[in-house]
Amino acid sequence: MKKKFIFALLSTSIIASLLGGCQVSTDTGVETTEESSSTSTQTSDSNASETKSDTTGNEEKITWMFWDDLEATDDLITKGYKEVIDRFNEQYKGQYHVDVVTTNLEEYDTKLNALIAAGQTPDVFICNPGANLNQYVEAGVAADLTDILTNQESEWYGTFSDGIFEGITYDEKIMAVPTCFAAACVFYNTEIFEKAGVQPPETFDELLETCKKIQDAGYVPISCSANTPWCLSMVAGYLCDRQGGPDNLEGIMNGTLDWTSETFVKAAHNLKELSQYFQDTAAGDSNDQATANFYNGEAAMLVQGSWAIGQVNGNNPEFEDKCGVFRFPGVDGGADPNRMIVKTDNLVMSSTTEHQDACIALMKQFTDDTAQKYIAEVGGKIPVTGVEIDYNKAPKQLSYIHDILQSTTGTLGFYNESLGSVEAGDTFDNAMVEVFLGSATPEEALQKVQDYFDKKVRK
Amino acid sequence: MSEIKNLQDEKSISPVQVQKKNKKPISVAQILIYIFLSLLVVVYIFPLLWMINVSLKTNPEVFKSPFALPEVWQIGNYIFAWTVGKLGIATLNSVLVCTIALVVSLVFGAMAAFAIARMRWKFSQTVMSYFLVGMMIPIHCVLIPLFVRFSKLGMTNSLTGLVIPYIAFSLPLTIFLLVGFFKSMPGEMFEAACIDGCNIYQCFAKIALPLAKTGFFVSGLMTFVANWNELLLAMVFISDAQKKTLPVTLTYFVGPYATNYVQMFAAVIIAIAPSIIVYCLFSNQIVEGLTVGAVKG
Amino acid sequence: MDKLLRNKKAIVIFIAPAFILFTLVLFVPILQVIYYSLCEYGALTKPEFIGLDNYIELFTSDETMLTALKNSFFFMIFSVISQQIVGLFLAVLLTNIKKGRNFFKNIYYLPCVLSSAALGLLWAFMFNPKMGLNQILACIGIEGPMWLSETSGFITLPMWVIAFVALWQYVGQNMMLYMAQIMGISRDVYEASYIDGASPAKSFIYITLPLIKPMMITSISLNCIGSLKFFDLIYNMTQGGPNNTTHVLATHLYEQGFKYFKYGYSSAIAVVLLILCLLVTFIINKCIKVDTYEV
Repeated sequence: MKKKFIFALLSTSIIASLLGGCQVSTDTGVETTEESSSTSTQTSDSNASETKSDTTGNEEKITWMFWDDLEATDDLITKGYKEVIDRFNEQYKGQYHVDVVTTNLEEYDTKLNALIAAGQTPDVFICNPGANLNQYVEAGVAADLTDILTNQESEWYGTFSDGIFEGITYDEKIMAVPTCFAAACVFYNTEIFEKAGVQPPETFDELLETCKKIQDAGYVPISCSANTPWCLSMVAGYLCDRQGGPDNLEGIMNGTLDWTSETFVKAAHNLKELSQYFQDTAAGDSNDQATANFYNGEAAMLVQGSWAIGQVNGNNPEFEDKCGVFRFPGVDGGADPNRMIVKTDNLVMSSTTEHQDACIALMKQFTDDTAQKYIAEVGGKIPVTGVEIDYNKAPKQLSYIHDILQSTTGTLGFYNESLGSVEAGDTFDNAMVEVFLGSATPEEALQKVQDYFDKKVRK
Repeated sequence: MSEIKNLQDEKSISPVQVQKKNKKPISVAQILIYIFLSLLVVVYIFPLLWMINVSLKTNPEVFKSPFALPEVWQIGNYIFAWTVGKLGIATLNSVLVCTIALVVSLVFGAMAAFAIARMRWKFSQTVMSYFLVGMMIPIHCVLIPLFVRFSKLGMTNSLTGLVIPYIAFSLPLTIFLLVGFFKSMPGEMFEAACIDGCNIYQCFAKIALPLAKTGFFVSGLMTFVANWNELLLAMVFISDAQKKTLPVTLTYFVGPYATNYVQMFAAVIIAIAPSIIVYCLFSNQIVEGLTVGAVKG
Repeated sequence: MDKLLRNKKAIVIFIAPAFILFTLVLFVPILQVIYYSLCEYGALTKPEFIGLDNYIELFTSDETMLTALKNSFFFMIFSVISQQIVGLFLAVLLTNIKKGRNFFKNIYYLPCVLSSAALGLLWAFMFNPKMGLNQILACIGIEGPMWLSETSGFITLPMWVIAFVALWQYVGQNMMLYMAQIMGISRDVYEASYIDGASPAKSFIYITLPLIKPMMITSISLNCIGSLKFFDLIYNMTQGGPNNTTHVLATHLYEQGFKYFKYGYSSAIAVVLLILCLLVTFIINKCIKVDTYEV
């Protein structure tokens, strides 16, 4: 009898706690929507749940899979995507309907692979370029879009910026459609630069000098995260490219260049030199913490992708005015310093979809002028089409990046995403972290990457 | 039940004490022991209290004045955690999954245990050992085959897909504990029932089951607590935010929101509050029950 | 009566549900995992038999695997020793106080029933480089170390930190096991020993210790298996980082399987884990002799 009583109480207390919480949440549901509509002028009232229930039986239904929750997000880009979906379902009402499957970023791949294994590949899904896309292309999951783009929908294809398909083309076959891209640059705090009496550096040696002066002025020169390895790896990637240019990655991938060759060793040594100017806690700080150090005014510089603009401005709106941007400095005797690390978000169409027209219509919706304008003016990312952007509306940093892009001679992907497999990328990341931590010399760390490549990549 | 009563009896004093009591009313050693134990209580409670404090502050406050009480109570953190973390639905899912797993594993477990403990057949010992091996197998070992199989069946993103392995992994312990209880029952009772014309099913339902209440409580408690806190399987299987269980929901705050300590802790507190409340209400029964379960297991 | 208890149909009905479920969810997958471990198998490919290659790679060229093995063993040994000693110590203290025994006992046991996922987040904050414990240390002018991101040493600092958190969380379990056993010892035994002039320390060594030996086996094997499959705390505190130095077998298995989708390779780690678990249980049961005393 007593036990029954316990379980009864247990369940009632849990239900009671649930109900208590529910009341609280209804209180503020209003508040949050008010907030979001005030921060982003273009965000319409959310009525996704209504549109979902409106479906009629005759519509062609497709699914789209994305790595952030459309309903509960602060990310401006995600909010823009939600609008695209809402507009699509409204515009094609009675004809097409898209259902959204969302996960959080960490488990996106696991979940997507599970669906693919179960034969329920989403009709359209978002995908990182490089290693991630490779595996879907190799497994035949991604549909070849070349014919559709170049013949059937050549008008649409013409709207895209030149060269934007470069990273997602395999053997001259276009396997995905980009929605936006971000470029990695150095963000800097103009106030600290003034106080320390320094100018944005042009070369790596100048950068080191600048760091020294900022340090003497009592600030942290560079905020970086080694706990989130790709942050450090981005700096390393830039250094490798500044040393050897595009030949470096090409050489690695076609087996003509070893990781232990001079250009990489130099780059790793540069990283080691630069890393003494990182904040003390760089080894333990996550990406978010490192970014926070920057927008809180503790650190003078941050090497980041332009997706950080939304994060910086969102967390500290006053910071927008004192945030400058310069391109990553070149090294003396190195390669062309005008190359940028860029990364696109891509839509992949399932090769087994039965609703190709609906998928194409959806992809078009993502790249139409409204969506692309939003991406730049609200989200602070760079559009993939030649749409006119009002830079007065967009975050200030975006126009600086735009200016830098004007003089850019070439682009490259993130090093860790360009090495064939996720694991190869992680191996590179970890080696760079080791260099930073000092647990291996640059030579030793690079030897490890080389060993991995000898064993796994170049069998 | 007898073991439980025995342990609960606060007045039962240990022998070492008996001797001391005759010499001094309160010895120095006793005081030292109390001081030590109280310090340890601080080690156990302080982190939890600090977490509550942090969850009511703003992020800058946590940096600037870590120990001060919050200037304004930031209830908004809880609201954020509740809405973004989807803790309400997660709690409901956890309750649902754990309760179903509990009931089914107890029913199946009791049936099997009865057959093993009470009925006479050649392979009863073999079958028992077969189940017992299961107690030594960590859930990690079968993660990949289960995931592959279930995703082919389209069950990876459903609560059913989670309940089934939970039941299976609860079975060995349940069977083991219940076999012990059924075996300790006097055989005369069953004989008497038999003479009264009961069939085997009635023997099971009317005699064995009611007598094994403590066994049900103990094994049920163990399975419930284990499943309630299970992270790995749920994390791999479930990705739909509407179907996540409590521990998985919390991992949402590992990574992307890692600097949002205030909101993360609000979420943690909401997540562990039910456990703490239930624990406070029935701490004695729970502690004893789990201990009895562990002793036998 | 006998006929009733030999009712074949009833036996089958009673056993079948548990047996079938257990076999399908536990036994068959174990066979599968052994097969997969001999295959090259990814999320998007079909299993392809490659013999022992996965194992060879695991033990010859996978640095993370060596770290994981090292950490898992460290973790197991540390947990067993620390939890046995501290647990027993607390049990003895608690059985020797008059008031508040229940209070202390319930407080110390509390973390055992809480989710380690939640507690992992809590402790990740406590050991943050800039917050938590280091804020306390800063008050008295000490600059705290980077608890969870130090990478030097054979057993790195983060592993020690996690091991202590695990001790904090699970020691209540051992304490309760020993308390139950100590309180089961008859008071007469002690009284007899005092009459013979034994000090409390002596009676602990000669009476308490031998009599709680059976419980030791239980609690040591619980500790060992528990620490071999340890996952939640590490996942929520360090996720195996920095630089893979805090991986244990379970996190390595998870990462290989569900981050890199190398199902075959991950299965090989699962088999190693399984063998270790069975081996450890076997060794404990064989090596510690149980002398049965009449209590």
